Amino acid sequence: MQLRRPLPIVALAVKIGYEVMGFIVEGDTMIRRHFCLAVAACAALISVSVHAAEEKVLNLYIWSDYLAPDTIANFTKKTGIKVNVDVFDSSETLEAKLLAGKSGYDVVVPNGPILKRFIAADVLRTLDKSKLPHLNTQDPAITARAAGADAGNAHSIIYMWGTSGIGYNVAKVKAALGKDAPVDSWKLILDPANAAKLSKCKLYVFDAASDIFEFTLSYMGKDPHSTVAKDYEDAGALWQKVRPSITKFHNSEHISALANGDICVATGYSGDIFQARDRAEEAKKGVEIAYSIPQEGAVMWFDFMAIPKDAPHPDAAHAFLDYILMPEVIGPITNEVYYANANTKAKPFTEKEVLEDETVYPGPDMMKKLFPENTPAQDIERLRTRIWNRVKSGN
Amino acid sequence: MNTVLRIAGVTKRFGAAAAVDGVTLDVRENEFLALLGASGCGKTTLLRIMAGLEQPDAGQVFIDGKDVTATPPYARPVNMMFQSYALFPHMTVAANIAFGLKQDGLQGDALAARVKEALGAVELDGLGERKPHQLSGGQRQRVALARCIAKRPRVLLLDEPMAALDKHLRERTQMELKALRARLGITFIVVTHDQDEAMAMADRVAVMEAGRVLQIDTPLALYERPANARVARFFGNINLWTSSSKTMALRPERIRISHAPLTDGVSGTIENVVYLGTATTCFVKTAAGQTLRVSVPHAEGAQAFNQGDAVHLSWPASAVMELPE
Amino acid sequence: MTRRAAVLALPWLWAALFLLLPLALVLKISFAEAQVSVPPYSDFFERLDGAIVGVKTTFANYQLLFSDSLYVRAYFSSSWIAFVSTLLTLLLGYPMAYAIARAPAQRRNLLLVLIILPFWTSFLVRIYAWMGLLRPTGIINTALQSLGMIDAPLQLLNTSGAVYLGIVYAYLPFMVLPLYARLEKLDGALLEAAADLGAKPWQVFLHVTLPLSLPGVLAGCLLVFIPAVGEFVIPDLLGGADTLMIGKVLWAEFFSNRDWPMSAAVTMVLLVVLVAPIMLFQALQPRTDQRP
Repeated sequence: MQLRRPLPIVALAVKIGYEVMGFIVEGDTMIRRHFCLAVAACAALISVSVHAAEEKVLNLYIWSDYLAPDTIANFTKKTGIKVNVDVFDSSETLEAKLLAGKSGYDVVVPNGPILKRFIAADVLRTLDKSKLPHLNTQDPAITARAAGADAGNAHSIIYMWGTSGIGYNVAKVKAALGKDAPVDSWKLILDPANAAKLSKCKLYVFDAASDIFEFTLSYMGKDPHSTVAKDYEDAGALWQKVRPSITKFHNSEHISALANGDICVATGYSGDIFQARDRAEEAKKGVEIAYSIPQEGAVMWFDFMAIPKDAPHPDAAHAFLDYILMPEVIGPITNEVYYANANTKAKPFTEKEVLEDETVYPGPDMMKKLFPENTPAQDIERLRTRIWNRVKSGN
Repeated sequence: MNTVLRIAGVTKRFGAAAAVDGVTLDVRENEFLALLGASGCGKTTLLRIMAGLEQPDAGQVFIDGKDVTATPPYARPVNMMFQSYALFPHMTVAANIAFGLKQDGLQGDALAARVKEALGAVELDGLGERKPHQLSGGQRQRVALARCIAKRPRVLLLDEPMAALDKHLRERTQMELKALRARLGITFIVVTHDQDEAMAMADRVAVMEAGRVLQIDTPLALYERPANARVARFFGNINLWTSSSKTMALRPERIRISHAPLTDGVSGTIENVVYLGTATTCFVKTAAGQTLRVSVPHAEGAQAFNQGDAVHLSWPASAVMELPE
Repeated sequence: MTRRAAVLALPWLWAALFLLLPLALVLKISFAEAQVSVPPYSDFFERLDGAIVGVKTTFANYQLLFSDSLYVRAYFSSSWIAFVSTLLTLLLGYPMAYAIARAPAQRRNLLLVLIILPFWTSFLVRIYAWMGLLRPTGIINTALQSLGMIDAPLQLLNTSGAVYLGIVYAYLPFMVLPLYARLEKLDGALLEAAADLGAKPWQVFLHVTLPLSLPGVLAGCLLVFIPAVGEFVIPDLLGGADTLMIGKVLWAEFFSNRDWPMSAAVTMVLLVVLVAPIMLFQALQPRTDQRP
């Protein structure tokens, strides 16, 4: 059930539904989204599928809370294009929807490995750079690092980037491991002795193999993108020793668990940990959460914006991408979402506090230690999935 | 004769209404007692109090002189045959009969023998492995009976045992029950709303109305000497009238009818003639404006009386009973 | 076609369109290979210049499924968790259904509404509510600590116990309702007859009430067991690192590994695992339901 080629009546119905539900269920994007889909489906059924010259509509599929509050409104004001925002809660959902075909979206926000697979599966449109006058704002130093996924902005622009490191409860880690706790090192988790001590105050790690092996190999002094099967077996063996100390494998539950003070350490994406930190501060229960990028190096991940091949409104999509490339647009988004952008001219529009936060914009030394996330060949991917499943199931 | 079961001043209320209202009743060893009354008269409630399925609000129940008022049903030496038979649908006929015996600790050959004996007593030999839903209505009634008598209770309680049977089966079953009681030597108490059934089976009948026992006596005595007008009315077919604020009763078969004038007779006209097999009932309107029911045996030329005939009636003075209300 | 035939055809049409057809598609995918494409699996048919010249199938997914102990253990673990949860649900649900069936008629509807009431709120919200109760800093632990009954928070969340609790809580109405329907129909005269024949209350229950409510017990158990085996949300949110369930494996195959054929194969085998208890139910049903 997807929104395809929404005629004005459909778009209007969706908009009304969105506003009405927004009024009723303030902030619950999930409910609004389902309602919108239902309304859209009904409207699509009764409306005839006539495709006129491109309507001024854009269907955006993006993570929830991943824009500044006025980003969409300003775009509509500027271009007259109405935007239907649909949100996903996991990359997997995005990937499954797009690979199933005919998603009806005009702009999607995949991460590196997914972008790479999208390009391989030929589901993305090649960007028409003549329609992207602001493409020159993309930082070549950053795009070079993302070249593994999409070289030369052929199919995408970089939206945001961040790191994948360690989130921790400052007081609890100190209580468990003393004031010299190695919070800036993967030793905190991967040294079985440390993990055992932390298990009492609880330790969550990523659920997906794709998030685990790169930093583990880096910690072991191996190439994070190794193609040697033995390296993965060794990494698995290391995790088997740590495994008994882990309370839960999950990719999102650690946010509230950290914020509530229920756990002391979790692996996580920078933005997720920042979210936990902010929530803990708001709750004013004395829970202090911090994020660190470990010394041994960490994954530098990217979120891209791209246009599906079957996008119903490619012109609007290009207009939106160019809009996002504007420094005065992306800067405020960084302030809002606390992720780094790849825009060379956005500094004047970015708050000093954010620019100086080394967990958002790491210093030159740390930048050298970061490596992009990568999708290995199918055989290595299956191998690491199997190894990780075995670790998770304790066998 | 010994009293096997005694009901002493028992009252049972449901809400404000008393279903059983201060009933006292002695049931004798080896008798066949019928509790007779219209529906809602409290007869079934009384039976359930005897079985222990209802707790009386006042009064006591004694069995063999022992107060069992507080004894739960499973510990009383009485068994009840339910109107719906209440056969266990998931058990065979034999298992149904064995169920009660197993509670008494019987097992093995002794159990099998008792089940066989009970099946034989109700003439259902060979049907032990059937399930209840594979039996006819009459057969089910026999299984319910066998299940009770297998326990050899002191008193067997039967709640409307004929209600679910076809009419032609009833008379036969009545005789069989009577014979069975005599053979087993168990006290039977049967609840029924059918006075013919009560008269046919019971040694004594307790007539109930509004939670009270109006009269308890042999069928003959009830018929010939009803204690009051309500009992007399219950047995129907009786002529009742009020004479100087007293109720007078006269049995239809005690009236003589003739086309010729009779001494001390009253004259009247036949309004209606109803043929009833053994006798014909003529409804005669007297000159005084009263309609009397007259029963004429066929042997005495009942065919001679037709609607519209002018007739004369007479009866011996001793045939008229004066009854309290 | 007569009207009667048309009415009879309706359920078959429904089943064919919404059950058999999707099932056939899943079966087809389970014989394909995963690849990076749209859709992300190989074509079932071999084509030459657009014409279908043959079929291309692989049993590799099924081979892996039975050779990798992960899947087999996940099936067993799911079935075990579902079995224990079903048993617990039965132990809790039976007395509840019995009490409702024996309650005065005017109070029964109220009690039934109370059983169904939780369905009126989102399932997800209710499971999140349990997380709030079970957390180390949650209501239960905080209360116990402030009462001085425990020194450190108990590990309640992320345990197998929490998964059992979640399943029992979420599926209890599915157990209570069929049991109630059965017990409510139970002829009170049968219970009285059993008592009259000398059975003590517990014997009446064991020999009459329980056997006669067995179809309700079986229906309730199936309604709980089948969804519980494939349950994903409850083990994901309440379970810990040790909770291995096929629902999670299926999710990982489909979303994390993008291996649609493998997840299709897992689904097909799960279907077989679930059909077994249904067949058992069908076999037991006519023997226990003896009412004419």
